[in-house]
Amino acid sequence: MTGATLFGLCAAVLVGLGLYGAIVHHLILRRIVAFNLLGAGAFLLFGVVARRGTGAGMGGDPVPQALVITGIVVAFSATALAVALLLRLHAVRAAEDADR
Amino acid sequence: MTGPQALLLAAVAVPAVMLLGCVAPRLRGGMWQALWLAPLPGLAAALLARGSSVSFGPARAQFVLALDTSGAILLGSAAVLWIAAGVYAERDMRSAANGGWFVVCWLATLTGCFGAFLIADMPGFYLFLAVVSLGASGLILQGNTPQARRASGMYLAFALFAETAILMGFVLLAAGTPGGSLLMHDAAAALPTSPWRDPALALLIFGLGTKAALVPLHVWMPLAYPNAPISVAAVLSGAVVKVSIIGLIRVLPWGAAMPDWGAAMAAAGVFGAYYGVVVGLTQSDPKTILAYSSVSQMGLLVAVLGMGLRAGDGGTAIAVALAAAWHLLAKGGLFLAVGASSGTTARRPWPVLLPAGVLALGLGGLPFTGGAVAKLAIKGPLGDGMMATLVTLAAVGTTLLMLHFLRRLPASAPTRAGEAPAGLTLPWLAIAFASIAIPWALYSAVIGPVSDVLAPAALWAAFWPVLVGTLLAVGLRAWGPRLPPVPAGDLVVLGERAASGVATWSVTLERADAVLRLWPVAGLSLLAVAVALGAAMLSGR
Amino acid sequence: MTPGAAVLPCAGDPAGALLVLAIVLPTAGFLLALSVGGGRAERVALLFLAGGFAVAIAIVAAIWRSGHALSYALGGWTPPLGIALRADGLSAVMAMTTALVVGAVALFGRQNFAAPAPGVEARVPLSFWTLLLAVTTALNLIWFAGDLFSLYVALELLTFTAVPLVCLDGRADTLEAALRYMLFALMGSVLYLLGTALLYSAYGTLDIALLSERVRPEPAVWTAAALMTAGLVAKTALFPLHLWLPPAHAGAPPAASALLSALVVKGSFFLLVRLWFDVLPGLPSRAPAELLAALGAAAVLMGSVLALRQARLKLLIAYSTVAQIGYLFLMFPLASGPAGGPVAAGALTGGMLQAVSHATAKAAMFMAAGVMAGALGHDRIAGLAGTARALPMSMFAFGLGGAALIGLPPSGGFLAKWLLLTASVQSGQWWWAAVMLTGGLFTCGYVFMVVGRAMGEKDASEPRIIAAPITGQAVALALAVISMLLGLAALAPLDLVLVGRPTLAVVACR
Repeated sequence: MTGATLFGLCAAVLVGLGLYGAIVHHLILRRIVAFNLLGAGAFLLFGVVARRGTGAGMGGDPVPQALVITGIVVAFSATALAVALLLRLHAVRAAEDADR
Repeated sequence: MTGPQALLLAAVAVPAVMLLGCVAPRLRGGMWQALWLAPLPGLAAALLARGSSVSFGPARAQFVLALDTSGAILLGSAAVLWIAAGVYAERDMRSAANGGWFVVCWLATLTGCFGAFLIADMPGFYLFLAVVSLGASGLILQGNTPQARRASGMYLAFALFAETAILMGFVLLAAGTPGGSLLMHDAAAALPTSPWRDPALALLIFGLGTKAALVPLHVWMPLAYPNAPISVAAVLSGAVVKVSIIGLIRVLPWGAAMPDWGAAMAAAGVFGAYYGVVVGLTQSDPKTILAYSSVSQMGLLVAVLGMGLRAGDGGTAIAVALAAAWHLLAKGGLFLAVGASSGTTARRPWPVLLPAGVLALGLGGLPFTGGAVAKLAIKGPLGDGMMATLVTLAAVGTTLLMLHFLRRLPASAPTRAGEAPAGLTLPWLAIAFASIAIPWALYSAVIGPVSDVLAPAALWAAFWPVLVGTLLAVGLRAWGPRLPPVPAGDLVVLGERAASGVATWSVTLERADAVLRLWPVAGLSLLAVAVALGAAMLSGR
Repeated sequence: MTPGAAVLPCAGDPAGALLVLAIVLPTAGFLLALSVGGGRAERVALLFLAGGFAVAIAIVAAIWRSGHALSYALGGWTPPLGIALRADGLSAVMAMTTALVVGAVALFGRQNFAAPAPGVEARVPLSFWTLLLAVTTALNLIWFAGDLFSLYVALELLTFTAVPLVCLDGRADTLEAALRYMLFALMGSVLYLLGTALLYSAYGTLDIALLSERVRPEPAVWTAAALMTAGLVAKTALFPLHLWLPPAHAGAPPAASALLSALVVKGSFFLLVRLWFDVLPGLPSRAPAELLAALGAAAVLMGSVLALRQARLKLLIAYSTVAQIGYLFLMFPLASGPAGGPVAAGALTGGMLQAVSHATAKAAMFMAAGVMAGALGHDRIAGLAGTARALPMSMFAFGLGGAALIGLPPSGGFLAKWLLLTASVQSGQWWWAAVMLTGGLFTCGYVFMVVGRAMGEKDASEPRIIAAPITGQAVALALAVISMLLGLAALAPLDLVLVGRPTLAVVACR
């Protein structure tokens, strides 16, 4: 088993775990974490792809690495936005409960 | 743009512009007085612009207005009826509540009706048909009773089904037309060789047949006319329903004989002609009786079209248009008579009742009336076979039904005490006169010399069904009250049961939607969609 | 010489710079609006949106005049090394629609999102105006991006800007709807990302033009296509993945609902069209296309029936969006017939026209519904009586928008329906025609239900209807009129849609 295959399998496991968590969990925070697992799986897959593209004499294909970096930024922003919305939701709920 | 072209445009544009003017509340109030003016350009176009056409819009989908002979016949007589009914409506409905909507719907229906008589391309016809249906259902709503609401909804529902079928029929027509022309004329000419001939004809006959109240698609008609205001019933039963006839005239291929489809149409039409008479005889409200008479008469017109299609007779279109024009004026007139009689019968019934009697028996073909003229006109397409006999016997039935109507007319409960104002009687008398005069003029203008109609054989052929019908009516008088009562709209009850079934189904669908929108279910659906797509791609290799 | 040179014949085209401008201009506006704050954000947004409108017109004009697609290689680097922006007829039409609808939403939004006083800081106006500009950026990037990864970024940008629009009012239930929307959309985007990774690993590029030359029918492509399609379908809210749409679209403020329903769902749909007809054109795709259309048919029927059962006007319109999205997917089996045939061209044009027509009509309907809800103080359909008399202009806008949805001529909806029905007849797939016609009947049902209620007379016991400002009503009416007349104007875009797809255009002209 080559390294690429191993990492590919790891990526698949991460994606599977992430999907399971995102579908099954009721708590929104857990879903957000699951989404991050899912994203990590996808980025690992890109890493594997970069590793595989080493035929041209370079240490690795730089394009997927650039994509992964962009993707991580996007996923980070997504997480930040989701958490911000969640925090606001909790604050509003708490205020509503206090009113009652 | 030449003068006739401008007239064609004005026939549709004037009511349309008046309709747009209704957006301003001030103009809407003043629109009542102008109601009778709106159809005038249509009348002028029918008289002066026959044979001309005008088109506008981008080259690939032009709106084409064109006035052929059958269109001119129907447009002209419809314009006369709309003018008279407009005067009547102004006197009758102006004080009623919600008057603003009445004017809006009236003008919309008028625009759509004239547009449908004039338009030559398929999208345009579909548009005007939709405008007519919307306007007409709004007009029926003006009856302002729970029954009127039910009738209006039913009218709209049937109209929408009909239009859906017509749209698909048009798509099939256009798909089979070489060169991508959207003109109904080109499409009809290409129909006999179209690969989609049969489905196209089936859909168009279903759709236009529904608009023509072909049994068993007629149930909206006996609900709509009795529950609408008088002026509305007059224009709907007279002018608006003829849109279906002009549609059939335009889409059927008159150059080629189609025995199967022709025979089917003729059979359906004749069945409707008898069905209308039989059920009509069980009714007691004069407006409902007139509605069933319309079912019967429209059935006859469709039957004549069917016979013409069977033989590939090119003269059918004009003959049917003439017969339709007669029915347009007579039926519109009789509805106005119901309104005019409601005030006058108590003391001086004859000024209303006598002309009404002439018109009513004219529907059976009484000599010297437009009915006799119409009957002679459709003689050609009908031929001499069994169908001619059946139609003659239907005239006996019509006479019977119309005498039943005349008997019920004075008995109908007066809605207003005292004398009917001149505003209600005058339009009625004008239409009564027009319905006698116009068919004569049309016959001599487009079919043949008037002497044909006055030939003794023709007179006798027209007279004996009326005579037999009258004798039968006298003979059956005692039997009348024993007829089983049939609810107006007869078959509609079944339809309403089906509708409640759909309502139950929609509850189930709503529950299913609630389940599908649960987060875990939706997440699994997402995975299922991905897997199914992958599997479909593998299998589609 | 890279293969890219062959597909980018006009890389140095000066008009290509317009594409950059279309993306940079709203971005600059966004940054500027953010820095000047809520008090002046409105003025900045209107200014930059007007500029964006001019750019969109210039792009359409350039493509119309030259008759071929525009392209621009960023930084002078051609793919596969660099990133290209491309605009064919499809993207030009979508960009024009975007400029139009966003402009209308901006004018409509002025009455609800004006700053409390000139120059005074306010959170909600700041969010609205900056998000409006950001949505424009994201959408233009989707229309013009030439590679699948830029499209991923654009798609995410669109989600991030659309989600806060849902919860502008900050109430708990809209926050919840926004979170639900966001998380489901994120799941969709990860699936899309996985698909792009697979495609890159198989072919070493993500450029659409290069990929379309290289893809072969093999398992990696099928897997990638399945994952990407599923992800995009989730973001488009195709039945049964529509869980997020009704609460999000019905809960948002009217201006935002109009934007979300009209344009945002079209972003991912457009990407799907790109994927199927530009990236994977040669693949045997009948079975999956039929699967998509079957889901579309289910959406049409389910969405319409549920729209009929809604008690609230905005939810009715939202479910109507679910149904209308279903219509868009009916084009897939019709347009993936014999590649390049006239049937396929007609279906593709019909489908895109449906998207544009729905965009204008639905935006008008949401705006009109917003005006009515504002004047009545609620949006219960049962309580609409008297609205037609009090707000004739809004009611007219709603009715016209409804007529365009139903597909009365000369609306764009009619032409779209006509083209799709013709395609279904000519390709022998009449069952899709049956779905379209049935859906049309249901559409009539829910539009007339609302109009009929509103035309009724109000009980004296009900509270008076407050007069509504005229601007918003006029904007809604103008959009409705545009969607109603689109069928006439669309005869030009009809050809425009096919610019940049040589095989289709040639056959369609025959």
